[in-house]
Amino acid sequence: MSNLTEKHDLKGTLICVEGIDGSGKSTQLALLRDWLKSIGQDVIFTEWNSSMLISQTTKLAKKKNLLSPRTFSLLHAVDFADRLKQVIEPALKAGFIVLADRYAYTAFARDVARGVDRQWVRKVYDFAIKPDLAVYFDIKPETAMNRICSNRAPKFYEAGMDLKLSNDPYESYLIFQSRVIKEYQSMVEEFGLVKLDADDSIHSKQVAIRTLLREILKEKGIEV
Amino acid sequence: MENFKRKHDYEGLLVVIEGTDGSGKSTQLELLKRYMQDMSYGVMVSEWKTSRLIAKVIDEAKERNLLNASTYSLLYAADFADRLENQIIPALKSGFIVLLDRYYYTALARDVVRGQDIEWVKNLYEFAPEPDLVFYLDMPVDVLLKRIIGTTGLDFYESGRDVGFSTDFYKSFEIYQNRCLEEYNRMKSEYGFISIDGTKTVEEIHDEMKKHVQEILDTGILD
Repeated sequence: MSNLTEKHDLKGTLICVEGIDGSGKSTQLALLRDWLKSIGQDVIFTEWNSSMLISQTTKLAKKKNLLSPRTFSLLHAVDFADRLKQVIEPALKAGFIVLADRYAYTAFARDVARGVDRQWVRKVYDFAIKPDLAVYFDIKPETAMNRICSNRAPKFYEAGMDLKLSNDPYESYLIFQSRVIKEYQSMVEEFGLVKLDADDSIHSKQVAIRTLLREILKEKGIEV
Repeated sequence: MENFKRKHDYEGLLVVIEGTDGSGKSTQLELLKRYMQDMSYGVMVSEWKTSRLIAKVIDEAKERNLLNASTYSLLYAADFADRLENQIIPALKSGFIVLLDRYYYTALARDVVRGQDIEWVKNLYEFAPEPDLVFYLDMPVDVLLKRIIGTTGLDFYESGRDVGFSTDFYKSFEIYQNRCLEEYNRMKSEYGFISIDGTKTVEEIHDEMKKHVQEILDTGILD
């Protein structure tokens, strides 16, 4: 079936963090990266919508609100496929620890929240490699909104304004991100995402992640 | 054709011309368009890889050899999705005859030859409505080769050089186009292509296409 449900047999280790903006995932990944580097591990970092091939086009299309949810979904898949084949897979073959800020689950959460068919988008990404560890930071939409919108209004797409859920960006944000969170929560069981409470302290979340990572590396014969 | 049944629920008619590069699709498309316009039907033409934004990305990426088999498939699917949702379906809804130069059969042929799983590719295009008519211009590879070398010349991707069949351009083109033809042949019955011998004269081919189109129009489906 899908590669996303089967363990990979590459030398390296793939770790990804998931959750809505403001859930603290990037902070946790940065802390993890600094630590791994400081103890001499080979680390590569990759983030959502950053491929040279397509990311600028996708950003431009968003700015102009030009494309349908399905077309956006395919463009994000292009970005992901480009990074997977050019960056992630070669690094895993060479034995790196690959840290991914967002992975295919972001597409499953956001695209489905935009009305794209759940099974369709899973099939589109079925070439993805199953991560050794996928951490999901669970947060209430109100908390995330307070964090990211302390000095600005929610942005057009993060508020899901393209879906015309409400004319008020704050209200639209809460409705849309609740949908995204619901999709994430259902993936905890479906894909075995490890759920962490975003409200916990930075320190306790980092301790939890390092403990999980140590176990995984130990299985591969690496003691850290 | 009295009981002609649409394969989609839209008011208009969806007509596709398929075939490999150099099979004469564009010429026939132009003739068919004029024929329909002369009878006062609303006609909209849309060609493969012509969406805003995405078509340019594909061209640039090809120029710089940046594509792998997955990004190749996905980019074309994105281009298609955009044209489908913004041009093709709106035109069909308002009762136009939509004439298409290539459809997802092109993607199926090319992507499968590039090693993609056919079910995966079919899923990418699952949202595409089934055309009312698909004309397939059947051409032997040796004729195609001469036509293309005599006109545009051999292109890196059209020769399947990215797949790595051979480093020799001619050899690569031959293998790649033959594989594509095998895929098209397989699809003929699966998708009910009306296969036309592409080595016939332009007029003969046009007459054959006209006949099929006229049969449908005579049912009064667009009246």
